[in-house]
Amino acid sequence: MTARLLPKKDLPGFIAALAKKQEVWAPVRIQSQEAARFSRIDRPEDICLDYLNTKLPVKELFFPQREVMFTFNPGERSSAQASAQVRERVVLGVRPCDAAALELFDKVFVDESKTASPLAESKTAGPLADPYYKERRDKTTLIGLACNAPGQACFCTATDGGPHSTRGLDLLLIDLGDRFLARPVTAKGEALAKGLARAKDKDISLADELAEEARATMDFAIELKQLQKSLDKAFDHEVWHRLSLPCVNCGVCTYVCPACHCFDVTDEEYKDSGARIRTWDSCQFSLFTRHASGHNPRPDGMSRMRNRTLHKFCYFPKTQDKVLCVGCGRCITECPAGIDLRETLETLRDTLS
Amino acid sequence: MSTEAALRDRCRALLQSGEVALVVGYRAARTGGNCTPAFVTGPDQAELLVLDKTCHHNLAAYLPGLRHKGRVAVVSTGPTSRSIVNLLKENQFDRKDLHIIGVPDPSSAPASNVRNAVLFDEFIGDKADEPAPAPDQDLAAFEAKTPAERWEILFADLSNCIRCYACRQVCPNCYCPTCFVDASRPQRVGRTPDRSDTIMFHVMRAMHMAGRCVECGACARACPMGIDLMVINRKVAAIVRDRFGHVSGMSLDDPLPLTTFTPEDGQEFIE
Ligand code: SF4
Ligand code: SF4
Ligand code: SF4
Ligand code: SF4
Repeated sequence: MTARLLPKKDLPGFIAALAKKQEVWAPVRIQSQEAARFSRIDRPEDICLDYLNTKLPVKELFFPQREVMFTFNPGERSSAQASAQVRERVVLGVRPCDAAALELFDKVFVDESKTASPLAESKTAGPLADPYYKERRDKTTLIGLACNAPGQACFCTATDGGPHSTRGLDLLLIDLGDRFLARPVTAKGEALAKGLARAKDKDISLADELAEEARATMDFAIELKQLQKSLDKAFDHEVWHRLSLPCVNCGVCTYVCPACHCFDVTDEEYKDSGARIRTWDSCQFSLFTRHASGHNPRPDGMSRMRNRTLHKFCYFPKTQDKVLCVGCGRCITECPAGIDLRETLETLRDTLS
Repeated sequence: MSTEAALRDRCRALLQSGEVALVVGYRAARTGGNCTPAFVTGPDQAELLVLDKTCHHNLAAYLPGLRHKGRVAVVSTGPTSRSIVNLLKENQFDRKDLHIIGVPDPSSAPASNVRNAVLFDEFIGDKADEPAPAPDQDLAAFEAKTPAERWEILFADLSNCIRCYACRQVCPNCYCPTCFVDASRPQRVGRTPDRSDTIMFHVMRAMHMAGRCVECGACARACPMGIDLMVINRKVAAIVRDRFGHVSGMSLDDPLPLTTFTPEDGQEFIE
């Protein structure tokens, strides 16, 4: 596909043109803070493009923390329906790691190999899919922003990604100083970039150099296939006790993780009416596995910390052939106990091999 | 010898002699930046221990989870030791199982806090100068606003809360076996970041902190969303100070204000 150029001075115009046809979402600074979070854009000047990564991953636009699955009222027939009417939208400024994580989400929430029985309302059978997730995914075009300066905690190169990776994206923007190189990945992305001037060879080689330089700053590497094999036999190893001591079992690492997707379903009721709500859940909480009887198969912090690690680096790769981590580094920078996932993985490798 | 070197020597000796099975202290993080909690079980690992101005975790939070696991030594700055005082008064840890290594707080403690350990079995290093008591200007500025403005500030800030409970998990006071927000039979508080449920969580937690919070700031530092939880905690602590003359965690002998009745307690709520 043809690489194109977007001069930075034309960015507001480019966004305004997009906004005529669909919603535009992009990182916006959280009130009075350094951090940015994806929000609906009304004015192009609200967009913040100088962030290492957004505080919360782009997953919240596909898998919101609070999703009303359906409401129930006396005398009415309920139907499963995404809470907000989702419109066609473009999300701009997605980091390559976050986009790669959506491919992992697709494995969980959409199964193309199976057919869902048609809902009475829709009549047509589609792939077996979570309707809330799939609707948002289908209606979204993703414009990425490549990382020329990865952060200290980033390690996407160790998880099959890279600072200029296009996995999961429709179009990738690469910052070349006063202009972006726009690299289409899908037909959707190509359509968005159609009106832009063609890039020259020197722009493309500059982008390639920047990608190499960015890669060179990232030094964490680990043999994940080998690790998966050792982890498979390590359930009862004493190392988990040692590793989990500092962990306070909060929800931070799972909530900020672009790949974590576990949820809980609760009913919120008022008098005779109510709503069934899906909300993020975390394997680090004791409530996550507590049975109705009160019995909890993961009774302590060790077993919960172990589960998070094994799910990401052993169970998920076993069934889906990919680790459930894209190396975004958020769990490292945000962990209140200062736990560094890379150190955990190195310790596991060194202890178990 | 530096305080840090003395601390390492002492911890090595404690582990070597078997006086303690575990030292909870601080170590450097892999990527630099702030220190992280360290759990040292062997004399050869005592080298890991660090004491610098980024050592601001309240290590007392780990004690309830370490009950009946052998004798524990805790590197205790002013705030950590104040929380230990509270845990002992609330019968959450057996004093016999605890060896408190007092240290001066090397971090820039907030003005409302004390720097040197208030309770210890031994003190390592020179006592730091305690900050002179200063009026809490942030709190005064907050209090000067109208109730409507205060609500607006709290609403706006708390609407960023993602209910990850990091604030609760790092707080030494939050050791309830089942937190009220986790009660599921019946469920008392909604589990989503819906604003009314989120505010319910924070208001209830503030109530449970009254007379117990030592204003260590661990909750606010833990919050990934940068929510200013200390404005709530300092307000609650100020109310307890004004009404009961009580400063939390300063001595084992002070009665706990909310579980002790005295005829002098304000009773104007009885009409
Ligand atoms: S963020 Fe850190 S302390 Fe919290 S559950 Fe994850 S590893 Fe444990
Ligand atoms: S496990 Fe950590 S580094 Fe990996 S994707 Fe999740 S938050 Fe990012
Ligand atoms: S509420 Fe916050 S400031 Fe108070 S003791 Fe707990 S962690 Fe420290
Ligand atoms: S740490 Fe922050 S985001 Fe998490 S529950 Fe507490 S206030 Fe909310």
